[in-house]
Amino acid sequence: MTGCDHVRPDIGAYVLGGLEPAEEAAVREHLATCSECAAEHASLAGLPRLLALAAPMAEAGPPPAAIEERVLDAIAGELPQQPPRAPRRRLPRARVLVPAAVALVAVVVALVIALGGGDEPTPGFKVALRPAAGETGSGRAVLASADAGITMQLWVRGLPRDPGIVYEVMCDAPGWSASAGTFRVDSHGRAHVVLNTAARRGEYDAIRVVRRSRSSETDVLQAKL
Amino acid sequence: MAPTDVQLIQRVRADETGEAMRALYRAYAGELYGFALNALGERGAAEEVVQEVFTRAWRHAATYDQRRGSVRTWLYQIARHAIIDARRRASVRPSLALHEPGDTDAGEASPTIEQAMLGWQVVAALEKLTPEHRQVIRLAHFQGLSMREIAERCDLPVGTVKSRTWYALRSLRLVLEEMGVR
Repeated sequence: MTGCDHVRPDIGAYVLGGLEPAEEAAVREHLATCSECAAEHASLAGLPRLLALAAPMAEAGPPPAAIEERVLDAIAGELPQQPPRAPRRRLPRARVLVPAAVALVAVVVALVIALGGGDEPTPGFKVALRPAAGETGSGRAVLASADAGITMQLWVRGLPRDPGIVYEVMCDAPGWSASAGTFRVDSHGRAHVVLNTAARRGEYDAIRVVRRSRSSETDVLQAKL
Repeated sequence: MAPTDVQLIQRVRADETGEAMRALYRAYAGELYGFALNALGERGAAEEVVQEVFTRAWRHAATYDQRRGSVRTWLYQIARHAIIDARRRASVRPSLALHEPGDTDAGEASPTIEQAMLGWQVVAALEKLTPEHRQVIRLAHFQGLSMREIAERCDLPVGTVKSRTWYALRSLRLVLEEMGVR
């Protein structure tokens, strides 16, 4: 048992290979004769192997933040109604109707599932956006308070699309207005974007989506809070 | 109470706010990125794999069966397939130099799912240690410094560095045991 107190704290360094050659030899010698220290060594001896597995994972670091939004964008792109695929086979009418009816039910169910998430408790405050007078389209927003203001997830559909058009989201208060950013819509007039605005909860009472082109500026969607 | 992974996967399809997917992404994107980067050796390709994993998981959420394993393992399995696809794509686009299976022991170089999952648990365990303990393990193991070199660098007596290393490894072992890693 002699030397245990002296050797014991060296066991950690020994396991990691951090001792000088003479110290290392002394520890090795002691471990051969002291079962208690040998047990202590055995309990730590597997750690370098585990640490070696950690190294490449730790080195990778986190993925760029943009990937998270790309994932959500990709999913949002698949979420809305996709045109049902009509059966192509040439079959007598009656036999086509059954699969068509099944397909229709499937589409309706899918839409109900896709749109019926309102039952889920979700963090954030949901708002429906309605078309302004003479406009088309619709939208939804989920608002979450952040330190810097409000983070807004916005889904829109049915908006006019033109290469010269961008849309801007405004948070309005009487006599005051803050932009939450701009976006474009896809070829179906849809978009799913995450925007930020400096406006804080309670500081604005309406959300407005404005269509901007080179020559004009028109309100297209709006919501009163 | 925060929803479990299984609950998140179950609600992900119907969740139009994207919050369930965001929660899953934040829980697992980091380690899946590490797994993919190790297998492919190229950040852009690893990023594509991460994106692919979560979009595939969303599309196939209904096929997840909790009797066959955890959500985490399921995501790793999807990642493995996505990595194989990425390698296949790279082989027809030779400008992308990804690690190829069949290259000099690259098969051994890319970690298995089990190794990557274990490696990530060790990363998580290290994060639970005190900064002093983490530092001494980093310097001794990851940078390969001797006790004497660490003592010089940190301006500490060698004896202090040795005992700190010992305590650090004991803490690490304890944290890993609590996580079920032996």
